[in-house]
Amino acid sequence: MSLLEVEDVHAYYGESHVLEGVTLDVERGEVVALVGRNGVGKTTTLRSILQLTPPRDGDVRYDGESLVGHETHEVADRGVGWIPEDRRVFAHLTVAENIRLAVPADDDVEDALERAYEAFPDLGEIGGRDAGTLSGGQQQMLAIARGLVGDNDLLLVDEPSEGLAPLIVEDVTEALADLAEDTTMLVVEQNLPLALDIADRFYVLDHGTVVDEGSTEGVSTDDERFERLSA
Amino acid sequence: MAISTDAVDAQQGVDTTERWIRQYAHDHVAHLLVVAFLGAYPLVYSVLTAIGAGGVFEAFLPKIETMTAVFYFGLFAMSFDFISGYTGYLSFGHAVFYGAGGYFVILVANGKVPLLPPETPFMVSVLLAGVLAALVALAIGSVSFRLSGVYFAMITLGFAQVAYVFMRDWEFLGSNPRDGVAVSNELHPNAFEIGIPGVDALNLAVGPLRGDAVEWLFLDLGATEVSYYMIGLVVLVCYLAMQRMVHSPFGRVLVAIRENEERARAVGYDTYRYKMAAFAVSGFFAGVAGGLFAAFRRSVSPDNSLYFLVTGDALLASIIGGFGTLAGPLYGRLFDRGVREFLSKTGGGGGLLPLLREYVPPSVLDTGIVNGMTVGQSIETFLNGHASLYLGIVFVVFVLYVPGGLLGSLRDRLGGPVAKRLPAYLRNLRK
Amino acid sequence: MSAAGTVVDVLVSGLAKASLYAMMALGLTLIFGLLGVLNFAHGSLTMLGAYAAGLLMVTFAGSGFGALVWFLVAGLTAGVLVGGLGAAMEVALIRKLYDRPPIYQILLTFGITLVIDELARIVVLFYGMQPQTDWQAALGTKPSFIADTFAVLGGTVSHLELFEILWGVLTVVAVWAFLNRTRYGLVVRAGSEDDEMAAALGIDVRRVFTVVFALGAGLAGFAGALLMWDPAWAASVPLASETLLPAFVVVIVGGLGSFRGTVVAAVIVGMVDALMTYLFDHAIITFSGLPELTVFLILVGVLVVRPQGIFGLAEVGGH
Repeated sequence: MSLLEVEDVHAYYGESHVLEGVTLDVERGEVVALVGRNGVGKTTTLRSILQLTPPRDGDVRYDGESLVGHETHEVADRGVGWIPEDRRVFAHLTVAENIRLAVPADDDVEDALERAYEAFPDLGEIGGRDAGTLSGGQQQMLAIARGLVGDNDLLLVDEPSEGLAPLIVEDVTEALADLAEDTTMLVVEQNLPLALDIADRFYVLDHGTVVDEGSTEGVSTDDERFERLSA
Repeated sequence: MAISTDAVDAQQGVDTTERWIRQYAHDHVAHLLVVAFLGAYPLVYSVLTAIGAGGVFEAFLPKIETMTAVFYFGLFAMSFDFISGYTGYLSFGHAVFYGAGGYFVILVANGKVPLLPPETPFMVSVLLAGVLAALVALAIGSVSFRLSGVYFAMITLGFAQVAYVFMRDWEFLGSNPRDGVAVSNELHPNAFEIGIPGVDALNLAVGPLRGDAVEWLFLDLGATEVSYYMIGLVVLVCYLAMQRMVHSPFGRVLVAIRENEERARAVGYDTYRYKMAAFAVSGFFAGVAGGLFAAFRRSVSPDNSLYFLVTGDALLASIIGGFGTLAGPLYGRLFDRGVREFLSKTGGGGGLLPLLREYVPPSVLDTGIVNGMTVGQSIETFLNGHASLYLGIVFVVFVLYVPGGLLGSLRDRLGGPVAKRLPAYLRNLRK
Repeated sequence: MSAAGTVVDVLVSGLAKASLYAMMALGLTLIFGLLGVLNFAHGSLTMLGAYAAGLLMVTFAGSGFGALVWFLVAGLTAGVLVGGLGAAMEVALIRKLYDRPPIYQILLTFGITLVIDELARIVVLFYGMQPQTDWQAALGTKPSFIADTFAVLGGTVSHLELFEILWGVLTVVAVWAFLNRTRYGLVVRAGSEDDEMAAALGIDVRRVFTVVFALGAGLAGFAGALLMWDPAWAASVPLASETLLPAFVVVIVGGLGSFRGTVVAAVIVGMVDALMTYLFDHAIITFSGLPELTVFLILVGVLVVRPQGIFGLAEVGGH
């Protein structure tokens, strides 16, 4: 049984029909990339899994149980984490407070902070600063750190490289790859080489439906397919 | 040859005029019906209350004075709806325009406004009151429309409260500005006149006591009825003017601003100018409403014209009648006043109290319910004089479940504005 | 009077006013910060608190120092009762409107005000009192030494002013500690910034909404208890709108939703109010509405110059 099964999901923003039957699944331990042009519904797919944009039709099952009809915080409690587009760190909270919020039980906070700072030593030095004052790269590290300490079995990662300098993108890729070692991930990414680099499989989304899927193995060297995916 | 063409043209001219009138009447069937009903109301009221029917009609029908008050305050509520209901900008300080109009008319009459003598005809001063209010609206709007949402509501509230406190404590106005100012009886022993300035025959004085009485054909109209008709006439003209604007391209831009201002701007509309224009129009009619109010009552006070709860009353009327329907607030106000009169403390305008005294035997009224409280006492405690409670509950229920209000819901039912749908509906009935 | 005396007069009465304004406004800003609801019923909740505390004092309190203990009990009880009412309001009514434009929340809470005020009027009348006038019996439960004054550097300071400053400071510190020193406060601050993200981190934002609404309402009730003893305010039905308007001013001047801004704005508005009152009392300016006029001018001025308020976030206006 797959850890995450998205089955024929339809979702709307107001009256506009954004997801027109998305079906995909993610096996435990896998890293799956979700690629596609702007505005085809990649972010909405993640939001509908989290029940932030509840599906009007179709089903989302996690560990065999449906998430539809549940509140977002309940989805999170089951072990689904979110590293959203634009990081969405709490700007007026300190780095440490941001991390603390991601820890389910208050008793484990010290432990969690230690783990986060070990993974991202830079954050340790600025733990007392407001997250709003951080650079884009630091904010992304913080967002990933929140995913790390949340005891998540599945992480939904949205555009982790967006708006970052190439050097920082390398750091982020590395951090995600580390995290992927013991966490299942569904990653939305426009940067195709990055996506292919960390993912085992991929889905291509267009106009709210999956139009292509496959293993990432060999895609980078298969020029024709790479071209098609980049288009 | 030339002559005959002219004749044909003239013939066509008559045809088009006639067709236009017919078309206009057709488009305004709903308006005509309402106007006809309101026009007949005083007569209907006097006949029905004369019949008596044991005070039932008197209990349920609003008095003519009440209806007159519904007219001028309804105009104010419609002007509030014109800006808030159509553009979505909540003008929480709208009372400032109402108050400006009211104070201006009274101060002109008392000779306290430079350049305008006390004998300035009321029709001139009420028009100038509207202009003044429009200018105030432009001044307030110029800074306020840079904000939106709650910030717009708050800055307009702030301006209105500044005006409220200022007029409340400004001793220039009179010996006791807190109680407001009244028209000087020395300067104006007679009531204000509505009509065409300078033509005596076309003017009628309004006011509960000093107004004109008219005898015409078989009709015998007292001062109350004359005030009702004359104020109603002004309000009707104002309503038709606003209605015309709301259904023009200008009005459609206002609705576009409410639905999505960014999109309206992206399409190329200078939304700031549209909002300013709408605010000025709205201010003008609010000022006229205030002028009518002050003239009818012959006085104005800070608490009944400038205070933020006066705006709250307009809001109440708009929500119950239908936000963004223009005519709705008038019906909302009618509902408001109707309920208040029905549950009045004294039973002065008919209402529940005399009806109960008439029909419910004393033995029932004296029956104890709990703790020795009788039925009569509980009615006294919870019903009479406490219409605000029930209106508040109705308001809350409408905000939650009937966001379109009375008129908006009716429109949803019919599938469009009543004025537009009714002709077609009637045509279908005829078939 | 000496210059030092003038400074003492204005400073102390300014701080006392600031304390009252802060207490009236803190709950309002807390609720707006998290829920985005500008609660028009806040003044009515303050008024209920004043009556509730007054009722407890009139019924139970003795005189002397014992009354101070009773005041604490009455204030806390009023806060809890009004807070419970706030929670009920949020669950039963306000919750239904979160996904509608914010204008509807203003409308709804305004409607709630109409209902609460009229109910209060009914009850007050039922007990044979006048809703429009100050409740003298409740004012009378204040121990006489609270009304005493003493001279400092040529100025006059009343015990009541000091008492109000004490409560104001304690309340501000308590709210600050809640927001910054507890996990729940952290959750509230996070939810105020981004409730979706907070939910995605496993926080039951809905429940937090209810708790914060209750807390904000409770603060209004507690503020009402303090006002009940101040002859310049006192328990009456119009207290609802009398406190709502300055609370709005303080909250907007400080920056909607900002705790720090609200406290700073309360001090500014309190000080200006005290200064203007002084100018009028000493016939330097003879316009009697001066203090109130200035308070609203501050509101308008701040919205013109810096609409987001002193400590508000830059992006204002959207909704």
